[in-house]
Amino acid sequence: MMAVLLWILIVLPAVVGGVLCVGGRRTDRVARTLGVGTSAVTSVLAVVAALQRPAVAVPFLAGADFGLRVDGLAAVVLPTVALVALLVLVFAAAWRGGDVPTAPSRFFGLMLLFLAAVLITATADTLPALLLAWEIMGATSYALIGFRWQDPDRVAGGATALLTTRAADLGLYLAAGAALTGGSDLTLSGLAGLPAPWRDVVAGGILVAALGKAAQLPFSFWLSRAMLGPSPVSALLHSAAMVAMGGYLLLRVAPLLAATGWAATVAAWMGALTALLLGAVAIAQRDLKQLLAASTSAQLGFVVMAAGVAGTAGGTTHLVAHAATKALLFLAAGAWLTALGTKQLDGLRGAARRWPVVGISATIGLLALAGVPPLSLWATKDEILAAVRESSTALAVVTLVAAALSAGYAGKVLVVLWARPSADHTAAGIENDFDTEEPGTRSVPSVAQSALIPLAVGAAVLGALALPPLSTEIATVLGVSGEPAATPVELISSGLLAVLVLAAVYRWGTPAPRWAAEWLHLERIVGVVVVAPVLSLAAALARFDDTGLDRTVRHSADRTMWLARRADDVDSGGIDAGVRGVAVAVVRSAREAKRPQTGQLYQYYVQVIVLLLFAALLLIVVI
Amino acid sequence: MTLQLVLIVAAALFCVGLYGALSQQVVVMVMMGLELMINGVILAAVGFYWFVSPTPTAQVVLLVVIAAMTVEMAMGFAVATLLHRSRNSDMTDMATDLSG
Amino acid sequence: MAFWVLALVAVVSGALVFKVDSMARATYALAASFVAVGLQVLLLGLSYIGVITVLMMIMEMAIMAVYMIMYMGMNPALMPMNMVHGKRTAAVTSGAVFLALTAGILLAPWPGRSGDSDPDPTAALGEALMGSKMLVMIIVSAVLLATIIAALVLALPRGRYDRFGSDLRCRPPTDPQPGGVGR
Repeated sequence: MMAVLLWILIVLPAVVGGVLCVGGRRTDRVARTLGVGTSAVTSVLAVVAALQRPAVAVPFLAGADFGLRVDGLAAVVLPTVALVALLVLVFAAAWRGGDVPTAPSRFFGLMLLFLAAVLITATADTLPALLLAWEIMGATSYALIGFRWQDPDRVAGGATALLTTRAADLGLYLAAGAALTGGSDLTLSGLAGLPAPWRDVVAGGILVAALGKAAQLPFSFWLSRAMLGPSPVSALLHSAAMVAMGGYLLLRVAPLLAATGWAATVAAWMGALTALLLGAVAIAQRDLKQLLAASTSAQLGFVVMAAGVAGTAGGTTHLVAHAATKALLFLAAGAWLTALGTKQLDGLRGAARRWPVVGISATIGLLALAGVPPLSLWATKDEILAAVRESSTALAVVTLVAAALSAGYAGKVLVVLWARPSADHTAAGIENDFDTEEPGTRSVPSVAQSALIPLAVGAAVLGALALPPLSTEIATVLGVSGEPAATPVELISSGLLAVLVLAAVYRWGTPAPRWAAEWLHLERIVGVVVVAPVLSLAAALARFDDTGLDRTVRHSADRTMWLARRADDVDSGGIDAGVRGVAVAVVRSAREAKRPQTGQLYQYYVQVIVLLLFAALLLIVVI
Repeated sequence: MTLQLVLIVAAALFCVGLYGALSQQVVVMVMMGLELMINGVILAAVGFYWFVSPTPTAQVVLLVVIAAMTVEMAMGFAVATLLHRSRNSDMTDMATDLSG
Repeated sequence: MAFWVLALVAVVSGALVFKVDSMARATYALAASFVAVGLQVLLLGLSYIGVITVLMMIMEMAIMAVYMIMYMGMNPALMPMNMVHGKRTAAVTSGAVFLALTAGILLAPWPGRSGDSDPDPTAALGEALMGSKMLVMIIVSAVLLATIIAALVLALPRGRYDRFGSDLRCRPPTDPQPGGVGR
């Protein structure tokens, strides 16, 4: 019974999404209702599954099953993802501007397919299931980022995202191969028990893939390019679901990382560095969505770090809280983009004042992002910090600096959003900065506004999961106990730090160094180091094919023709002439044979006598 | 008088007749040559009778040869008559209907 | 001895047949050759066959003389005849044949005499013909009959039905002399 539930949970969004994608223009009218309805049903099913904890497995490949299981970790993440998806889809259904009205069927179809893939990823128990869902997530994300396909820049952005994440996914395939060679049955929970050399390969492979998907260093640049997609896409994929799955995977295989030792250290430091550097990048950004993207990468750095230091409870709660917060912020950015036609920070001055619901929700989200108590990310960050401080002091320092930076960029946005029109920024002057990206509708639908409210509530309240009464419950659910908890001193001091940074930003503003604004030049570096050699190799191979292989083929064709012509000469000159010669000789001999028949009797007699003599001679000689 | 000598005489007669059959143009002369050839054959047959097998069977052979000669004569003259009647000629050179 | 004289006469007169000028002489030469051969046959004991040969040949010469005069239409006594063709080929051929036959005669291993001749060869011949060799007589008689008929068919100028044309439909029939009862 429960197994059926799990299958329906997976299959329902997949099937409906597939129908909408295939239906195209024909299903445009029912797309919104179907999309939101399916998402609602999926959310209910997710909650039920989280309570019931079903598990299924079917034989899939030789020696490995397609296995899904809702264990403790999945029980926390599954409802989160489903509910955030529901709210995002409600917003998208009500969204009057932007890309969705151009092709609602395709949008909702792709989103539902993506949701199905995320659900499989979250519940995957074996590597084949994980790989399948991983690939589908990548494919649908490409289609969703490049949703306005008429614009080649957006499609190029989607291609960058897809190629980068797929290149990182090779690590997952490598890990699967190593696990198979090491004799595992490809279940995720059994990976920690592999023999020594294979275990390291598996850990390394999974680490690379997760870092790629979670947009950690050195893969962060794809998230910047992915911001060209529609805002609901960013809200779901690049805050709550896809990038979060990278961190989620690391949380799930945290025992494996701990068993190999070096993998945990690498994960922790990569997470820390990402949080630090991408925090700096976020401060220097002038585009709201770019800032939010850098912030996503930095916050996921915290989650990755938690996985590295075995702070699974903290990582999970941070993931959940961040999902709600970031989704809220992206949706708000989308609303302002549609309404005001701009997402540059210069153009959004005072935008929070125009639509109060959106403004206040966004403010709550930004305060949570800064780590201001008692909002969610403050408590979860401290739970992670507690685990980090047990592991290494250097990491703890880096984490503190990263937390300060997150307060910095959140403060930057808050200042802009609540700016009053001052003497040098009249109302008319502000109007000049509108409509830089697209003509604005100057309105945000009320349904869309109402979708933001539950997310704001979540952003505010979910911190309770990391605080003592519920944190032990969560730890029991997750199956990890005895993880260090944050002391009250730490809690108070981190909250104070956040408030102080906010005040400093309000007073003095933020620096914007060039290297940070350019996302650490990562994309250019990758272009030089990876893309250019690959393209020149491809060009060289193409040249080789055109000149070398092509010429060989053509040459052999010429030789064959020459050979055929020689054979034809032999045939017509030699054989044909021979046959003709034989025919001519036969005709001539026939003409000669007529000559003895003169009709003269005596000549016939002579011929007869000659023949008889020869016959007699033959008789005598032979017989 | 041995068999070989008789046979040589017969061969001589035969060859004289052959010469005549081959070289004469007139049909009747050709037939004379043929007669001489059969003459030689008769002599040879008699030689065989006397020197090899003096049985009545050999005499029967002689009779058959003589009958053959008779038949040949008759047919030959009939053809000569026909030839003369239709072409008014008695030369074999004119009767080359089987040529080609 | 007599045999050799007769042999010589036969061969020489045979050669003379083609050498002499007139038809009559040619005929006589041929007759002489045949008579010589017939006498040789007689000498070897075959009286019946010898006599037949002589008689037959003389009759044949007479007939041949008649034919010659009929077809050549000339004075049989005097005109020179030299109508030959391919004399050299004929000579060469006949010479070669003579040589070949002689070589065969001399080289062949002839069997010996297988018995003695009958006291009366003629009676023996008659008994053989009427007895064991009857088939030969029957066939020879059939052949002779066929010859008669064939010779008549070839030699007759007009047959019984030529008067009706080649498809037998010509009415009234074409006769050289008109008359008759009109059928």
